[in-house]
Amino acid sequence: MKKYKDMICVAIVGLFFVSLTLAVWVLPSKEFSHSERRKLAQLPELSYGAVKDGSFITEFESYTQDQFPLRDTFRTVKAFLTYYMFRQPDNNGIYMEDGYAAKLEYPLNEKSVNHAADRFEYIYENFLADKNLNICFSIVPDKSYFLAKQNGYLCMDYEKLFTMMQERMNYAGYIDITGTLDITDYYKTDTHWRQEKLTDTAAKIAAGMGVTLSGKYTEKALDYPFYGVYYGQSSLPLPAETIYYLTNDILDGCKVTNHEKGIVGGIYDMDKALGRDPYEMFLSGPLSLITIENPNCKNDRELIVFRDSFGSSIVPLLVEGYSKVTLVDIRYLRADYLDKFIEFNDQDVLFLFSTLVLNNSETFT
Amino acid sequence: MLFSSIPFLFWFLPCVLIFYFIAPRALKNTVLLLSSLFFYGWGEPEYLVWMVAAIVMGYVFGLLIERFRKKNKIAKLLLALSVSGSLVILGYFKYCDFFIGNFNAMTGLSVPMLRLTLPIGISFYTFQILSYTIDVYREEVAAQKNPVDLAAYVALFPQLIAGPIVRYSHIANQLKERSHSFEKTALGIRRFIIGLGKKIMIANLLGELCSIFRESNDKSIFFFWLYAVAYSLHIYFDFSGYSDMAIGLGKIFGFSFPENFNYPYISASITEFWQRWHISLGSWFRDYVYIPLGGNRVSVSRHIFNIFVVWMLTGFWHGASWNFIVWGLYFAFLLTIEKLWLLKKLKRNGMLSHVYVIILVIISFVIFDATGMGQAFSYVQAMFGAGGYPLISEEFLYYFRSYGVVILFALIGATPLPKKLWNRVSATPAGGKVVIFAEPLAISAMLVACTAYLVDGSYNPFLYFRF
Repeated sequence: MKKYKDMICVAIVGLFFVSLTLAVWVLPSKEFSHSERRKLAQLPELSYGAVKDGSFITEFESYTQDQFPLRDTFRTVKAFLTYYMFRQPDNNGIYMEDGYAAKLEYPLNEKSVNHAADRFEYIYENFLADKNLNICFSIVPDKSYFLAKQNGYLCMDYEKLFTMMQERMNYAGYIDITGTLDITDYYKTDTHWRQEKLTDTAAKIAAGMGVTLSGKYTEKALDYPFYGVYYGQSSLPLPAETIYYLTNDILDGCKVTNHEKGIVGGIYDMDKALGRDPYEMFLSGPLSLITIENPNCKNDRELIVFRDSFGSSIVPLLVEGYSKVTLVDIRYLRADYLDKFIEFNDQDVLFLFSTLVLNNSETFT
Repeated sequence: MLFSSIPFLFWFLPCVLIFYFIAPRALKNTVLLLSSLFFYGWGEPEYLVWMVAAIVMGYVFGLLIERFRKKNKIAKLLLALSVSGSLVILGYFKYCDFFIGNFNAMTGLSVPMLRLTLPIGISFYTFQILSYTIDVYREEVAAQKNPVDLAAYVALFPQLIAGPIVRYSHIANQLKERSHSFEKTALGIRRFIIGLGKKIMIANLLGELCSIFRESNDKSIFFFWLYAVAYSLHIYFDFSGYSDMAIGLGKIFGFSFPENFNYPYISASITEFWQRWHISLGSWFRDYVYIPLGGNRVSVSRHIFNIFVVWMLTGFWHGASWNFIVWGLYFAFLLTIEKLWLLKKLKRNGMLSHVYVIILVIISFVIFDATGMGQAFSYVQAMFGAGGYPLISEEFLYYFRSYGVVILFALIGATPLPKKLWNRVSATPAGGKVVIFAEPLAISAMLVACTAYLVDGSYNPFLYFRF
């Protein structure tokens, strides 16, 4: 009996092990992981130098992890074990609550918040201070603002962050948008907020800037499944979502210039909508400098928005009140070069950043 | 190369198994030797030369000691040269900076540190070579004439980097002749994958918790205790998991390595704890240091002296830092007290004696894990409320919730309970039939789970690599 038991053990485990090993050896490498939205490591080049300095070994280990057969399935297995067997509330810092995937953003990184405030102050002092401008700022709360505390997850001290920024940015009017938002205004699988839910928030910001919006739009659905960034990071089989976007004649008539590539297009980039991150359909995603010209505007007011990716979906809703809107992302455009690209005169200025970016502002230039 | 890594599991190991099992009997040790050298050189190719030098030294001295066995003075001199040669290499890499640092502190000089990287496994293979030459000198084993066999013994990859410390006398015959069977292979597979599970699914997760604690700015008394318990379980599952993997691999290749752990946390005294924890190291020090010093067949004061010497060296073996020495002396102190009067009392107090062992061992591992004596003192103080920390903190609550189930699994897994239950079920007629298929499926499931954790690229360092 014991002999048969041992033979069966060797046969079953051995068969499984051999199959997996053969798959590891034989299956071709993949270039890109759609669920993780990143390039996968490739087999490193073997050389004496690479072996000696250890880079070959490190890169080979990354390669074996990235190219492992059924990688996404194994990651899902790990996520299930984490959430359901070990009852851990988060997997790789991503937690699920009420069907929403959110990232643990903890603790408050005061150094980072101060760095962001320093960079904004630099912009103010060098380009804005000597002009009589209408300057406002607003902070976009991330999903954990609505989910974490009440459900027992660690989260940054949001009130402290808001207070710090208000104290440091006393040259700008603060527009508090937290009251216009709740968790349903965000995608379940992504970091970002849903444009179709932001009309109240846009109206609040516009009011803060002294602009009135009609807020009349037609809602359109993108006919393409949307899996947000947390879909891949959570590794759970979450259902696809639908991206809705708002249009009207004003938005349809706008001309958007991507100054990185010198390309002119519209508010919504339908090529990006079918790409790796459909959220990039809003103003073509992360770009250092773009301008939106609104030929249907009845005034000549202009707006400059210093922003992160949350701005891509809400700024189109502010366009109605301006003839020209310039969007600047100082993560990709050095702040000391701003006057080479933008002529500062009598524009309105809005600083619009999310808590996530303020708490991780190392890339602010 | 780590056992708990994809390159090892799905590249290195399958290749070695193929070459090993197709090789004729006469070449099996050569296959093991070459693969072991590759295994060792994978992470640190530049240190291969030191290991090879140590092997050559052990081989030559073994032959010479045997050759001059009858001329005791020469044999003794050769043994002294062999032992000091091995210890000089170990000391150079492991202890130089410790001595320089202390010398500088005492004299006010600033002799520059060497800042050498410690070759992986040097403490283990040095001790194996020492035991070999000493055993040859003691005429307990014959010197190995075949350099490949001796090199295969020292470099044998299953036990090369983290033990168990396999003595040459344990496997001298197996190097020459060993059998392979389904029974041994099945046993080896089971043991290896259970060890892999202990390492990846328990030790690594608890290691994450310990790292989180160290970096926390929201410490509290409860959080210190959570860390201390987690670290004690982490080090056990990390090290015993690695030993299980080594023993399992040994079985697959036809060897029988000695056991290294035997549920140490169920001990009712510190004396018993050390009979169950890192058994191969304890027995090495007993046979090669404690007994030659006179053991317990001497006066009480000399006996106590012997205990302190052995435990100071045991601590020092673990690392070139004062906290390791203090950790060793801490156990020397406890063992002395037990030997003098406490042991008999402990035997009469079942539950209390277990609590005593657990608390003292937990404190010992806080000292062990500290970056220095200052941190060790402050951590132990904080555990007992003397650090000015609050009783509870937000982070403690979150991480207790996060790792509570892992700790519960670890606590149960650190006892013989799961094994007893499994054996009881297997012993019933119905259970016996179910187990035939359930066991390999459970083992395969554990391999899937471990692979899933590895693919996801979670925390995976190995603690005993630094020894």
